[in-house]
Amino acid sequence: MQREQIYQLLKQKYGFDEFRPGQYEVISQLLAGQDVLAVLPTGTGKSLIYQLVGTIMPGLVVVVSPLISLMQDQVARLNYQGEKQVAALTSQLSFGTRQQVLRHLNAYKFLFVSPEMLKQPEVLAAVQATPIALFVVDEAHCISTWGPDFRPDYLALGQLREQLQPQRTLMLTATATTQVRQDILAQLRLPAAQQVVYSANRPNIYLGVAAVANEDEKRQMLQQLVVTVKGPTIVYFSSKRQTDLIAEWLQSTTGLRVAGYHAGLSGEDRFKIQQQFMAGQLDVICATSAFGMGIDKADIRLVIHYHLPTSLADYVQEIGRAGRDGGQSLAVLLYAPGDEQLVRNLNDLTSASANEITQAFQLYQQNITPHDDLGQVLQFYWEHDYTVEQVTKIFEKRQRGKNDELRQLLAYVQAEGCRRAVLLAHFDEPAPTHTNECCQLKGDSLPVAALNLQAPLRAQTPPNPAWESILDQLFLQNS
Amino acid sequence: MMFSTEPRRAKAVFNVLRGRRTVSTLFAGLTYDCLSALDSWHGVPMEKFLASLQELLTAGDLATPMEGYVQLTTAGAAHKEQLQATLYQPVAFRAFQTIDVRRFTAISALALQVASQAVHHQNRYYPLTTDPGIQAIVKQWFRRQTVAHLGEQLHTELTTFLQSLPAPLPTVFVASISGFENPGQTDQQLATQLDKTPLEILVMRKDLACRWCLWLETQPQSCLATLLQPLVKSNPVTPSAWQTYQTVQQGLTVEQVAIQRRLKLSTVREHLLEVAILVPTFPYTQVLTPARVQTLTEIFADQPVVANWRFEQVQTVAPEMDFFWFRLFQIMRCQTNAA
Repeated sequence: MQREQIYQLLKQKYGFDEFRPGQYEVISQLLAGQDVLAVLPTGTGKSLIYQLVGTIMPGLVVVVSPLISLMQDQVARLNYQGEKQVAALTSQLSFGTRQQVLRHLNAYKFLFVSPEMLKQPEVLAAVQATPIALFVVDEAHCISTWGPDFRPDYLALGQLREQLQPQRTLMLTATATTQVRQDILAQLRLPAAQQVVYSANRPNIYLGVAAVANEDEKRQMLQQLVVTVKGPTIVYFSSKRQTDLIAEWLQSTTGLRVAGYHAGLSGEDRFKIQQQFMAGQLDVICATSAFGMGIDKADIRLVIHYHLPTSLADYVQEIGRAGRDGGQSLAVLLYAPGDEQLVRNLNDLTSASANEITQAFQLYQQNITPHDDLGQVLQFYWEHDYTVEQVTKIFEKRQRGKNDELRQLLAYVQAEGCRRAVLLAHFDEPAPTHTNECCQLKGDSLPVAALNLQAPLRAQTPPNPAWESILDQLFLQNS
Repeated sequence: MMFSTEPRRAKAVFNVLRGRRTVSTLFAGLTYDCLSALDSWHGVPMEKFLASLQELLTAGDLATPMEGYVQLTTAGAAHKEQLQATLYQPVAFRAFQTIDVRRFTAISALALQVASQAVHHQNRYYPLTTDPGIQAIVKQWFRRQTVAHLGEQLHTELTTFLQSLPAPLPTVFVASISGFENPGQTDQQLATQLDKTPLEILVMRKDLACRWCLWLETQPQSCLATLLQPLVKSNPVTPSAWQTYQTVQQGLTVEQVAIQRRLKLSTVREHLLEVAILVPTFPYTQVLTPARVQTLTEIFADQPVVANWRFEQVQTVAPEMDFFWFRLFQIMRCQTNAA
């Protein structure tokens, strides 16, 4: 297909005149018959790539995605853009609906599925029987970061991909170090895939770190930031409980419109909060890190991390939700001494000693089904004929990897010099020239005014209208 | 709310709430007078139930007189009374027995969103649910509507329904709808607005969903009637049990029904017990026979609390009598006492 035709399609289908950086390059390589690993920053419009290619190439686009909520958000977004033939095959579908989708796969253009769902024999058989134009692994870094000790089915994707024989494969992620990129290609058995790698740098996001003495000070700092800095704001937490507690506290003490957003919410509540946030009806969202991947809002000005993220890659991805419109934005990481312990605790959850691994193997040999998370993860390895020694090595390697990630994250937090340089070095990128709009050096205060990010005077929230008038607005045309 | 000063089997109460339709659960629901709550908390995990139970035990509202059983303490009974007076009490949970309320709620929520967006000529919006089954049903429904009148018709219908409700139910109902420029509010947000707990809002919304289904059942002309109709059963009984019951009504004995329906005798008996518990018009005398009714009446003549009857008492007097007849008679008495 000619370049002009692709641009025409972009205009006609999405109303854009230009591609975002990286989009065209990836699309043209895919159309030229290449498999592609694309590392494009958050907000680049990665889904447009497979949508457009899916429109051009006959056959199904299978998108492997890690989270149900993310799949639902992606389907909703495709629906929003007018794509009707889209489905997410998740455990939340009723048996009947699931059968219906599998029986009529030919009627769909895009199918979202988790690695665990895809490997189910019935699902695999149905997908195998359908010609696949494009096999997409979204959030492909999960192969490297989640595969070994949390979601081992990510490690089976290479084999599944070969069984499905798609015409092309596209691996998408917002952040990946050289090592992670190598892992992805090795696991998917695509060493010759083209790599399209864009910088992880987002120059319009000022990088700040607020070191505080304790939890109390952290709360005060958080409150001060959300009140004085221009929003909309996302505050990230690593615990669901804290998300709700602090959302409630912020709402009652600041008068801002705040909501908590995490995996414990119903689909309906998640929908409502997302839509309120997108419509400007919420000032602050307090979210857990796994969520919010689907938030598609261009004018987020402030992203605060109340807890440490688990790695710099996660951090870059999470702060990347700010300033997608290109406008000046601010990311602040709040750090109190000892915060790293929480990350260590989370890392320990998926660790396993040689002893535990040996015991799990013995249970497997005795045909005892494991009920704990670790046992189930290990089951994957036994079913794929790994030895105890191999698995022990894999777990040790992953734990070492996690320790390195934490060390690099702390190096960023405690940096004496330019933080952006530390961040980019992690992705093997050269240091930028440090300027006043770059990042907060140790001991400096946040230049909120200089960045032109002072909170405007907020109008009082109007009282909630009576139910009769809401009903009018909903269903009467000229109300 | 589910316990009394008499001991109740905690697991049975849990099974009533999550809608497990075994005869033993249904019978417990009948004797505990909580069948109206059958299936009202479908899908609630056991751990959550046990955690709530533990909280009440720790607070001293509940006690465990024997393993597996709980009962309200005096303080617990007073607390319950106080909560009953101050918290919203559901009135329409019986709808869960004959209507798939949860599915209707999901379908109608999308239907209202689609209608609201269509009224405002908006065709680019994020759908409330991405479930392909629900989307297909609503799409089919929407195609049959006349868009020019749909908004007004829904507005009129909803206004009529909502005006029949006490405050703050109309506010809760309308604030929960997602539609044009109106994402709707979460339980948490409504709780803050109305100074209630999110749990009370959830109970209100469940009850509202039931009330709405029951109201719509009486409005066959409603534009939403076609969405509700496939989700309504004519009775609360499972289809197979209902078939057994109909065969019995033709005058066949339990044994004859088993042969005709090619079922085990025990299955037929389970079916009949289920029907007896859920259908008040069950022909007890025909099935039990007057002779058995008389024997059993005599055995339990001086025992007014039906739940305390023991089958061993029957065995000593009439060793040939099967447990089935005893349980059926017990159900009959519970129903007459309740009436």
